[in-house]
Amino acid sequence: MDHKKPHLLIGLLALVIPGAGHILQGRKQQGVAILAGVPALIGLGLWQQTPLVFVGAAAVWLWSVWDIYRSLNEKPSGTVLPFLAGMMAVYAAAVAATDFQPAKLISGFSSIKPVLSALAKPDILAYPTQDKIGAAPVMVPCIDPLPRPDVQGSRRTVILTDSACAAVGETIRIKGVGFIPNFEGELWWRNPISALQRLTKNGRPQSFKTDEKGEFTADIKIPLAVPLNAMPAPGRTQTHQIEARQHKPYGSLQPTETLRLVVAKMGETLALAFLATVLATIFAIPIGFLAARNLMGGNKITLAVYYLTRTVLNIIRSIETLIWAIIFGVWVGLGPFAGTLALLFHSIAALGKLYSEAVESVDPRPVEAVRATGANPFQVVIFGVIPQITATFLSFTLYRWDINVRMATVIGLVCDAGIGFLVIQWIRLGSYNAMATTIIAITLVIAVLDYGSAVVRKRIIEGIPVGRGKKFSRRAMRAAGAICFVVLFIASWRAADINLDAFVRDAGNGVRLARELLTPEILDRPTELRSTDAELWTPAKSCSSKNAATTGVGPRIRLSQSCADVGDALTITGEELPPQSRVYIRWLFPDGGELRVKENCCDTDADGRVRLSTRVHPLADSKNYNGRPVRVSIQWHEAVGGLKLSPAVIKTGELALITLLMALLATTLGSLIAIPVSFLAARNIVGAGPLGSALYYATRTVFNLWRSIEPMILALIFATWVGLGPFAGILALTLNNIPNLGKLFSEAIEEIDMGQVEALTATGANRLQVIRYAVVPQLIPKFTAFILYQWDINIRMSTVIGFVGGGGIGQQWRVWVQLNQYAAAAVATWAIVAMVWIMDYASSKMRVKLV
Amino acid sequence: MLTVEKLTKVFPGGTAALKDVSFSIRQGEFMAVIGLSGSGKSTLLRCINRLINPTSGRILWDNTDVTAAKGAELRRIRRHIGMIFQQFNLVKQSSVSTNVLSGRLGYVNPWLSLCGYFPAEDRARALRALEHVGIPEKIQERADMLSGGQQQRVAIARALMQEPQLILADEPVASLDPVLAHSIMQYLEELNRKDGITILCSLHFLDLVHRYATRVIGLKAGEVVFEGLPGELTRERFKEVYGEEAEMATLGKPLD
Ligand SMILES: Nc1ncnc2c1ncn2[C@@H]1O[C@H](COP(=O)(O)OP(=O)(O)O)[C@@H](O)[C@H]1O
Ligand SMILES: [Mg+2]
Repeated sequence: MDHKKPHLLIGLLALVIPGAGHILQGRKQQGVAILAGVPALIGLGLWQQTPLVFVGAAAVWLWSVWDIYRSLNEKPSGTVLPFLAGMMAVYAAAVAATDFQPAKLISGFSSIKPVLSALAKPDILAYPTQDKIGAAPVMVPCIDPLPRPDVQGSRRTVILTDSACAAVGETIRIKGVGFIPNFEGELWWRNPISALQRLTKNGRPQSFKTDEKGEFTADIKIPLAVPLNAMPAPGRTQTHQIEARQHKPYGSLQPTETLRLVVAKMGETLALAFLATVLATIFAIPIGFLAARNLMGGNKITLAVYYLTRTVLNIIRSIETLIWAIIFGVWVGLGPFAGTLALLFHSIAALGKLYSEAVESVDPRPVEAVRATGANPFQVVIFGVIPQITATFLSFTLYRWDINVRMATVIGLVCDAGIGFLVIQWIRLGSYNAMATTIIAITLVIAVLDYGSAVVRKRIIEGIPVGRGKKFSRRAMRAAGAICFVVLFIASWRAADINLDAFVRDAGNGVRLARELLTPEILDRPTELRSTDAELWTPAKSCSSKNAATTGVGPRIRLSQSCADVGDALTITGEELPPQSRVYIRWLFPDGGELRVKENCCDTDADGRVRLSTRVHPLADSKNYNGRPVRVSIQWHEAVGGLKLSPAVIKTGELALITLLMALLATTLGSLIAIPVSFLAARNIVGAGPLGSALYYATRTVFNLWRSIEPMILALIFATWVGLGPFAGILALTLNNIPNLGKLFSEAIEEIDMGQVEALTATGANRLQVIRYAVVPQLIPKFTAFILYQWDINIRMSTVIGFVGGGGIGQQWRVWVQLNQYAAAAVATWAIVAMVWIMDYASSKMRVKLV
Repeated sequence: MLTVEKLTKVFPGGTAALKDVSFSIRQGEFMAVIGLSGSGKSTLLRCINRLINPTSGRILWDNTDVTAAKGAELRRIRRHIGMIFQQFNLVKQSSVSTNVLSGRLGYVNPWLSLCGYFPAEDRARALRALEHVGIPEKIQERADMLSGGQQQRVAIARALMQEPQLILADEPVASLDPVLAHSIMQYLEELNRKDGITILCSLHFLDLVHRYATRVIGLKAGEVVFEGLPGELTRERFKEVYGEEAEMATLGKPLD
């Protein structure tokens, strides 16, 4: 019992400082987790003002005290409850911070409906049509006298109305002459600002059918075609038009203009990806060797080169291609060339890293064997190293080509390159069918390429030569391949609009931009606007006081005279102002108006003096202000207080947190949905029966197609649906995660060791028990690893998903760049780099621990 | 106690793995099943606790028809029949204690067990079972951290948790080296002698058969081709039954 007192102390300490009790008891890990976790949760709660977060934090805190109490009786309690409480708090904060409102999916549905229905009918093929359009003006409403209409009716295809005017809701009869005989047409109404609407009859769109002479008659009810507030004033009228339209298809189906554009831009997209991949490979090979530890570890200098290369590669890699696209867009101008450079830049870094890893994993024994034969270093590389890495390099390059095609399709969302540009353009124009066509095209192309490159990569790794047959035909194929390659390369070079001239000419520009984007504005000295002013009376004769000056010490202003007439010369002098800084000299009018005395003026000299000669402004006449004088003021910014964190840092910090939470919510939702679905895509679960196979193939196909829809495009769609912001980003990421995780999960399920299942079945356990004790333990580590991996990817993606309205740090980054606030953008740039690095590191550590 | 009557198993692909196999085991016997690879040993053992459903024939367990049992009744039968596998079949990602405790799944409240709860007496029993096989200190370790021999002992402990009357052992030592093989076989022998647990064990090694079994049946292409005492199965008889070129390893020194 003599131990009780320190225990009591420990308990009290735990009550005051969360986690301190655990640390004192020697349970360091738990203690530190509580010590860090509780304040972090309270911080989240204060930030988002969500009561539930505080509840969670309190629960963890109280639990820690309770746990100390329990440990007195040597009964440790489980850590599941506090963990759940903590997670609950985090999720509550995440929901609040990311504006997570599922109800918006319903309330915003009307704005996405046209897009979704357009997806069902893409704009691919159409018959060419012979068009006949007739129009006739109608004045609404009738007035007396009726003015002439602003427009005239059509000439050859005529519409005659039985009345030149009518009021809304009245019916007039029209007769059409000169239309295509025996064919249907539609009736439209064009309002004074040329907006078209379909005329309706009994709630249905109104049509007509001509007789064999090409004539028809119809009764038309005058629609309400202008908003009530734009209706003509009483006694006025407006010119509307009736239009009758016939589109008669003829000939055979033709690809639409949309399809032609899509194909052309898709070609450009593939060209960019191809060019970037080829060039990146060329650059990345030497870099890969420079970044390989086993080659460069020899002496200090090479080791330094190794570290330098690695660091630069890592920085470039952690900044997403789309960010590079914006940077290069500023550098060489928006267009395919900027897109190519962005793809190229990011690819060099990514490939360089992969290549270096391949070089590092070279087996030293065969190299040694080659050296033992007396080969020179060159021969050693050619015969010992190259054969070991060729296949891996090739496969990485193909993998990169895959990624580049995906990236090239969305790079157009931020710069005018590739097919993504069409998507953006058409969504702005509201051409949803065309946009849908583009999205479907992108998805299909990616799905096909994905599949193709997976097959080829598998063959490369397994060493199966491409192309079978005799030596001769293989050689011929190789030659053909080489020619194709050269032709493709030249074509791509053209398509990519390569302009090395601009690149070099604007290099200074680019370097400056890069430097500005990497030089963050972390600290900031807050300033206040100070001013001093003097009165000026006009006209001079109604004025008594002759010299006007603020006297004494400190900043002051002096006017050459305090009474003057409009147009008189006036000298304004300022003294003891902050030396060598910008001041603003303004007229202050008694009615509250202000006017700069002179543009781009003025700077004080080393003694803090400024002098400006001007003339009295016409607006300064006191007559205009009931005899009150105008004032002349000098204003300047003066630093107050010490250095503070700049607003950009605070904003960035908040957005970085929101970005992490976005990724967290998306990963969670994606996993929750993917887990049950993945069982349908696992062969060993659905069985080999016809129903099982059908289910399996259906799920797999859906997964594969769905995976090919780029998250950026999903973000674009959801931004239209639920509005710009983090919630749209979360939905896009979630939807993208479901098939990706589903695929990984189902593969893990297929790898379940059935022996373990069998062994537990043999003990007499029921089905649920078998799942709980033999299946779940096998899946948990793998699933967790996949989920962490996905979270990692989500954080990367959520740094760019904001470019199209998905919220998070990316959205702010782009805004800052567009406003030329590069110092602020630089803060965000580094935040992105840091986030990606930390997550990369943490999740790889955690994954190693799990598997 | 266990009677197998005209047991036949034809797999969906058309392989007839067992053809009219009949035999019976008395309480307390240590019966070995021998046969070349693919002769149907595993299929036979799996049919007995219905991990595989036989095509026809009957299996009687203390006068209950195993072949007709379903659902809860089948699980009640299974919980009295322990099984040991060549690849141990432990849940590798779970702790040793969870693996051993899972031998009680047929007994405990199923809902509580889903939350990971086992009664205190079962936890105590698990420790005793591990003591029995000589590795109580490993109780908190992850199963895949153990060596092969240790894993097989955990598997035996798991079977012991079932309070089995019969243990089916499918080549329990085929993945272990000779010394470990003997130690595992000795545990089985001890269970058989001391606790009176009946054992049906398929074996790959002729000298293990001679050393531990009290009775032997031989399978060849799914049919019983030999039934008798281990002593009757000399090397000559073995060659007679399985043909000249067939060989069955003795520990350390292969036949021939
Ligand atoms: N699940 C199965 N499906 C189809 N055939 C099987 C299956 N399991 C075993 N077989 C076949 O049944 C025969 C007997 O196999 P098995 O009982 O494993 O033999 P043993 O254990 O004696 O090596 C073999 O021909 C094997 O190929
Ligand atoms: Mg077998």
